[in-house]
Amino acid sequence: MLTIVIIGLTVTALLSGLATISNAGTAQRNGVLADVVLRDYAETTKAATQVCVASATYPVNYVPPAGFTVSSSPSSNVCPAPGTPQQLTLTVDGPQGLHETMQIKVRTP
Amino acid sequence: MSRLGTRQTHQDSGAALLLAIGFVLMISVIVAGLAALATSGLNNRTTLEVLRNRQYAADGAIEQAISQARVLTCSPTTGFLVDSSFSSGPIRVDWLNVCGSVPASDGSAYPQRNVVFSACPDLGAACDPAQIVIRAQVNFEPASGTVTRTIVQSWSVKR
Repeated sequence: MLTIVIIGLTVTALLSGLATISNAGTAQRNGVLADVVLRDYAETTKAATQVCVASATYPVNYVPPAGFTVSSSPSSNVCPAPGTPQQLTLTVDGPQGLHETMQIKVRTP
Repeated sequence: MSRLGTRQTHQDSGAALLLAIGFVLMISVIVAGLAALATSGLNNRTTLEVLRNRQYAADGAIEQAISQARVLTCSPTTGFLVDSSFSSGPIRVDWLNVCGSVPASDGSAYPQRNVVFSACPDLGAACDPAQIVIRAQVNFEPASGTVTRTIVQSWSVKR
């Protein structure tokens, strides 16, 4: 009887442990994806400003993968004056409440 | 026969318990290993996030330095700025201003002004080569007077 109880508890612990590790793996995969999305969005934004003319707007044509949304603050996409780079805060929201931010600077060449 | 059978039952009693304990130990080792793997992965992710933010902060600080270097002439030849606008920490950018000339297509000398920027986490002193995150070389045109455009000649992320 004692043996059955021990094995029952062990199997229960094993299953819950595997479930937790599976969740951790999913969270890690989403985090890595969010990192890729954030980097791609940042590079697309920086590339868009390479043809900037002061006071014009620069279009950022980036489509995030399914399940992710991106945004920047400020979101006006107005080219800064040549001597004053503009700081942007980029944000990625993803599955399971994933939320990551990063700051970059863009300038008019 | 019945006496022999009774003796064998007594010899095996407790074996199942030992097997169960061995099973528990084996499962414990497996679960501990998997938990360590998951924890390591999550910790590495945090480290990579810090690294990513620092790289883009260094990138932004160099953009800031390029803007300031537009108004330079051939002098001074060195300088630095500390950009504290990033949440990941202050970034220092050291720059080296180099003037020279290259031969133009008509044989005349064409003046050049290149600036080498080195960005690193600000530690209150000039960037240690081992701490440099990004090194970039930018050409400013024209070499003297109002700069009308900048050309990035190299941009390398070191760490």
